[in-house]
Amino acid sequence: MPRLASTQQSCWDAPLFSMAYVLHIILLLLYCDTIHSGQSLVKVIEEPTVLSPQTIQLLCNLSDIPNNPPTVTGYWTKDGQEIENSKEAVNRNNDQYIFKKTIQAADVGNYSCVFRENDAQVTFVFDAPVMKDKRDKPIVSYIGDTVVLRCTLKNTPKTWNWYKVNNTEKDLINVTVSPLKYNIVIHQNVTKLSVLNLTEADAGTFICSAEFDIKSIESYLELRVLSLLEPLKPFLVIVAEVIILVTLILVWEKCKPGQDHNTATTENVLYTEQTSKLTHSDSNGMETTTRQRKTEQ
Amino acid sequence: MPSDVTDLDYTPPDGGWGWVVVFASFISIGFAYSFPKSLTIYFKEIQEHFIISYSEIAWVSSIMMATTYAGGPVSSVLVNRYGSRPVVIIGGLMVGVAMMTASFATSILHLFICVGVIGGFGLAFNLQPSLTITSKYFLVKRPIANGLAMTGSPVLLSVLAPLNQFLFDNFGWRGSFLILGGVLLHCCVAGCLMRPIKVKLAVKKLTHQTATEVDVTHQTAETVNIQGCVEKVNRFIDLSIFKERGFLIYLVGNVVMLLGIHAPIVFLVPYAEQHGIDEEDAALLLSIFALADTVACPVTGFLASTGWIRPNIQYFFSFAVACNGVCHLTGSLLTGYVGLVVYTVIFGSTWGMVGALKFEVLMDLVGAHQFSSTVGLVTVIECVPVLLGPPIFGLLVDIFKDYKFIHFTSGGMLLTSGVFLFIMNYYNYRQLENEEKASKKEIQISSANQLPAREEANDKEAPVNMRSEEATYST
Repeated sequence: MPRLASTQQSCWDAPLFSMAYVLHIILLLLYCDTIHSGQSLVKVIEEPTVLSPQTIQLLCNLSDIPNNPPTVTGYWTKDGQEIENSKEAVNRNNDQYIFKKTIQAADVGNYSCVFRENDAQVTFVFDAPVMKDKRDKPIVSYIGDTVVLRCTLKNTPKTWNWYKVNNTEKDLINVTVSPLKYNIVIHQNVTKLSVLNLTEADAGTFICSAEFDIKSIESYLELRVLSLLEPLKPFLVIVAEVIILVTLILVWEKCKPGQDHNTATTENVLYTEQTSKLTHSDSNGMETTTRQRKTEQ
Repeated sequence: MPSDVTDLDYTPPDGGWGWVVVFASFISIGFAYSFPKSLTIYFKEIQEHFIISYSEIAWVSSIMMATTYAGGPVSSVLVNRYGSRPVVIIGGLMVGVAMMTASFATSILHLFICVGVIGGFGLAFNLQPSLTITSKYFLVKRPIANGLAMTGSPVLLSVLAPLNQFLFDNFGWRGSFLILGGVLLHCCVAGCLMRPIKVKLAVKKLTHQTATEVDVTHQTAETVNIQGCVEKVNRFIDLSIFKERGFLIYLVGNVVMLLGIHAPIVFLVPYAEQHGIDEEDAALLLSIFALADTVACPVTGFLASTGWIRPNIQYFFSFAVACNGVCHLTGSLLTGYVGLVVYTVIFGSTWGMVGALKFEVLMDLVGAHQFSSTVGLVTVIECVPVLLGPPIFGLLVDIFKDYKFIHFTSGGMLLTSGVFLFIMNYYNYRQLENEEKASKKEIQISSANQLPAREEANDKEAPVNMRSEEATYST
């Protein structure tokens, strides 16, 4: 039964070779029992994190092919497209077929090694890290108010930049040019842009860009600026409704003075009052001994 | 016998307009309990805006809850003086205006004062009068009324949570606060519905019976001359309640209970997330909790009004508290999402049971007449465990890094509290029975002593008569 073996070691844990900028990725052992040649592809996806430019060697290890041919053919794909001249005949080496490729980390994308014989494939997804705490909905603020836009990343980038989208163009926000309007604070992996004295023109999309050596990661934040009249309308509707209800209730009460529902009569009780210790018993005439009870009948 | 079942000098209607009052209390109590909790959705944004830490913004909720509890005595005084209706209306106005002002806040201090202090007092003026007026309108069906009124808390929380989310997405925190101010004005509407009870004074007849004759003679006309500071305070709030044994038992049991009861709900979502449940499913747990609470509250009220449980309502309450404890102790053993859901359902139900009975039991202890003053004192004392509980447990989490300890500690506290209440109430009932028997004996003894005295008096008259007869004979 063909088995595609792959082992992976985390990029930062312990590189096998200490050769500068070369990382060996050893692939994890996985089972693909259900693989039959020509049938469903087993896709194994690994996602290492890469932050700086370096040379990376990808290694695929295929073992246990039926018939044990002396060579197998394999090729690499990037992002689903076959890479030119990547087809190679891999020689058998102690019942294993080891297929290597060296790439630059800057060439981010999805790399897959595919073996023609049984269509087994392993995919390496190389991409830069994603933004944390993404805000899908627009941030709402008001004219004259201040708003703080914030981007967080798991790793610390080289620099952060903020842009404002202006009709499909990105304008860099420069704090020194307009210090009364913008303020940028950077704390390693967190950046905050404060927009002061908001106006309607400030509404729109802002982009925070985390710049790494290989790639920049961007995140979009939408800002909406409202005038105070906007929430005032529903507020006034609600207040009007409350006033109407209150008026109705009080008028109804005044117009029906003979309601006996909330009146109660004193019965023929000998009224004994003690200011401090009052006695009480309740429920259906059943005596509760929760408190002392003096009754007059 | 309806005539002697209450220390109020009237028979409560137990229905009619009373159900409208229950609805009004439902709204008031609902806002009072759920509003501080529902504000947490705005905290992140406000935290960014004012550049403060999360613990600072969390103070807003804490101050609001603290003032709601601490404002109890003030509320009691006003209700004793003016009745429930004006106090609730003013409370609604206060909290509405507070939120409106808060929407224009320029610093976190404004929020502390507006939302925290003024809003908190406004809610205090809603909570306590609602409970008082329920006790004035109901007697026989009072547990049901209380159960229904307390259901306001989970129901309004379920309404406020998505409403707040909607408002926040569309209007940001400032606009939302403004609109919430309007929403809270509905407390005024609730206040308008709380019509005061009008009592028609009927002619009082004196009835004599031998057993009670001595009581009549022992009655001194109690014109209470109010002198001194203590008496003046007693006019507003009855502090002598602290001498009552049953009340002290209730207080001690409640303080221990409240220390432990809030923490599991506060940490429910992080606990679920620690077990690998994702955020949305964990938030669903809270909704399940609220649903279980909504069902359990009125059902418990209904159960408590049945003939079998009503006389033993103190035991029922201690049973509910103990159930809560057992639920936490065993619930922490359940794993998986299904296990967590089961735990949440049971937790919500027991929480609802305790909530429905909490004030009913107090009314049962002190009676409707004194309830108004007492509940103020109770809430101000309960303020301490309510505020201290979650932070202490949070500290435990930080130290042990495992939420299991919360469940064990909280479960242990609740179980202890429940058992304590059970045992002490049993003891209290026994003491009361003994005291009653002793006082009955005294009555019998003193009336027996009076008989020979009367016979002597009769005998003294007789020889006089005989002598006069002799005199007539002699002449």
